[in-house]
Amino acid sequence: MRKRAAGLAVWIALAFLLYFFENNTGTRIVLAGSLLLPLVPALRRGLLEEDGERGKPRSLPRPEEVPGRREEESGGVRAYLPGDPVNRIHWKLSAKRDELLIREREREESAEKDEKKAAGEEDAPAAGRSRKRLFRAALLIFLAALLLLGLLPSARRGGMALLNRLFEASEAVNAYAYVRLDVPAGQPVTLAAALAAVLGLSLLGMVLGAESRWPALVLMAGIVLFQVYFGLSLPAGGNVVLFALFVLRTLRRPRSRKTILTAMAGIGILSLAVLLIWPGTDAATEAASEAVRDRLSRLTQSAGGTARELPAGEKEVRHVLSLSLTAGDGEARPEGEYRLETVEEQQIARPHWVSYLRIALLLLGTVALVTLPFLPFLLLNRRRRKALEARKAFESEDVREAVTAIFQHVIAWLEATGHGRGNALYAAWDTGLSPGYPERFAACEKLFEEAAYSSHEMREEHRRQALALLNETEQTLWRQAGWKTRLRLRYGECLWE
Amino acid sequence: MRPEMEKVLAEIEKVLAGKRDVITKILTALLADGHVLLDDVPGVGKTTLAVALSRASGLACRRVQFTPDVLPSDLVGFSMYDRQGGGLVYHPGALNGANLVLGDEINRAASKTQSALLEAMEERQVTVDGETYPLPRPFLVIATQNSVGAVGTQFLPYAQVDRFLVRLSLGYPDYAAQMEMLKNRQGANPLDRVRCVLGREELAGMQEEVRQVLSRDVILDYITRLTLASREHGAVEVGISPRGALFLDRMAKAHAWMDGRDYVTGQDVQAVFADVCAHRVLLKEHAEKTVEAMLEDLLKTVENPDRHSRGMRKP
Repeated sequence: MRKRAAGLAVWIALAFLLYFFENNTGTRIVLAGSLLLPLVPALRRGLLEEDGERGKPRSLPRPEEVPGRREEESGGVRAYLPGDPVNRIHWKLSAKRDELLIREREREESAEKDEKKAAGEEDAPAAGRSRKRLFRAALLIFLAALLLLGLLPSARRGGMALLNRLFEASEAVNAYAYVRLDVPAGQPVTLAAALAAVLGLSLLGMVLGAESRWPALVLMAGIVLFQVYFGLSLPAGGNVVLFALFVLRTLRRPRSRKTILTAMAGIGILSLAVLLIWPGTDAATEAASEAVRDRLSRLTQSAGGTARELPAGEKEVRHVLSLSLTAGDGEARPEGEYRLETVEEQQIARPHWVSYLRIALLLLGTVALVTLPFLPFLLLNRRRRKALEARKAFESEDVREAVTAIFQHVIAWLEATGHGRGNALYAAWDTGLSPGYPERFAACEKLFEEAAYSSHEMREEHRRQALALLNETEQTLWRQAGWKTRLRLRYGECLWE
Repeated sequence: MRPEMEKVLAEIEKVLAGKRDVITKILTALLADGHVLLDDVPGVGKTTLAVALSRASGLACRRVQFTPDVLPSDLVGFSMYDRQGGGLVYHPGALNGANLVLGDEINRAASKTQSALLEAMEERQVTVDGETYPLPRPFLVIATQNSVGAVGTQFLPYAQVDRFLVRLSLGYPDYAAQMEMLKNRQGANPLDRVRCVLGREELAGMQEEVRQVLSRDVILDYITRLTLASREHGAVEVGISPRGALFLDRMAKAHAWMDGRDYVTGQDVQAVFADVCAHRVLLKEHAEKTVEAMLEDLLKTVENPDRHSRGMRKP
């Protein structure tokens, strides 16, 4: 489950990256980046095998694990069963184990297929069969619709018209001029639209009914290539949702309903967040498009000719201006054809790093604001609990432990009030608290050393002696301390109750 | 200090006044079953000390004055053909049968002789012509090397200095001590007044007791951290060897035993640290500090065990 979550996280991260990229550059060519997305399941399979089903390292199964065919599908070898080909016996291992072992030659794919087949036959034979039927039916419908769309003239023209409309719609949001297909105006598109819908539905059916993940991957690649070729970019958020669906489709079966629901919910929330929080591609590209068109029209107006746009590289727009010029004094001159070729770098929206930074800072700030008020309490409480725990050792059954703990408290008191000398020997510490104190301290130090370094039994009176010293230390130092030190002792060091 | 050792110390002090510290350290090294390297100027009483020690503790003492032509066979003995017996007969060397060997000016000996002595120190046995002869226990070598007048000497290689448990220095006596010494020598030789207050077996028993002294993990951890820190110290070319760490533990145990305890504390380790480790550390060229200052540094910076392992706050 955790690995599944990790896989999902990787996917989400990739999707975000892709989205930012598309959004920032706002060009269709970037859609090629979408091609990366289908790789995610492959990555996931390689890097994050889930639940250890196939992710186990190919270790040798222990003898008790190899009685039959079912359990050891994960390992590289299994026990020999009558009927297995002799040339697949793993002789070396067999000699070692003193039983015949078969080398598993099938790749993971086929093993998985076997597993699936076996599972399907046992658990839900009807489901598997109906899925296969769905796939076949969808394939047939798809081919039929494709044929109709290609062969029926009215349907073909309708399809072209539909494409033209798509280009128009795309032009509205992109800064590209599309070459229209040659279709008479007023061409009815109902038939083509219906066929296209059928095509789409059958494609979906194929994806859903397919046994393997390849149809989904191929379809995804097809969509991406289509987008790249025609420059018909969906809003980035739409891409994310679309690819999310395909990725979900390519998740390995069997999937529990919970997994799917979780993934769907996650994807939904993600795309919603993407669409709501960040402005879509539209805004950026629209602005760019506007700028390009403005310049285009200015050029046309000033020269008085007609400007035509030639398809060119990804980042530049080539304008070719053909002009007919006449001389000013009315005298007939041969009209010259002039070709003015201008190349303009298309304006592209700059990355909004600042706004991302702002959002990240905002998030951080929110988290900080939410947690900060509780922090001192948490810290104080932790210290307090620790101090109480340390004091509990005073009553320990083991006198040695008790003496050690008590002496540590004495040391902590001395250090907290500036009488400590760090790493130096205790003899060098400032123990002149009161007359006679250094001697008592030295005696207690001896006790402590005995407690800490020897294996002697210690008596109750040692504990009493140490406690007496601690008591004296506490009383003396507390009396001497100013209010600041007292505050620190009570709340900072938690030494005084 | 243990009363037995106090008695020995008192006997030695009869002939060597004002050197209580060094004598205590030598006794500690003797208890730890290690060897002593005395780095000193001539004439401060090294031989007197050794002889007094051997008399007070009932040990058989041998003295070897090393010169370039002392041979290994002088130390470990040799086999010679015996015409009457008709076979090879082993003639013991200076080390055989000695509990306490005073090797004077070891740095003047030829290197093969040095290595013969050092082998004997390490193995506590000598091997001649394939025959192994164990040396008596306890076996203590007090080697001296003169730091002045080192013409024609072979300085002990680093690897061999490492085999000595401690390196000590007697140093000149102060005014009072020298006055007392001069007065002492007016009559008979004070060495004759040194009584035997300790038996050889007793000493071996004490060594055994020292071996039983407890070094808890926190102490071993401290020793390890000290030695590791010495190797990582910026001014150090060669740090304390693992053998140095072992010796440090042994010496700390003896120190604890001398103090009447059967467990080692961090202070024991600190007390013996400089003596055990000073000769094992090789500073880089142009190092600004002396070895002693560097070791002092280590003691200051490496947290001592009762402050490190018990989760105490750092200063």
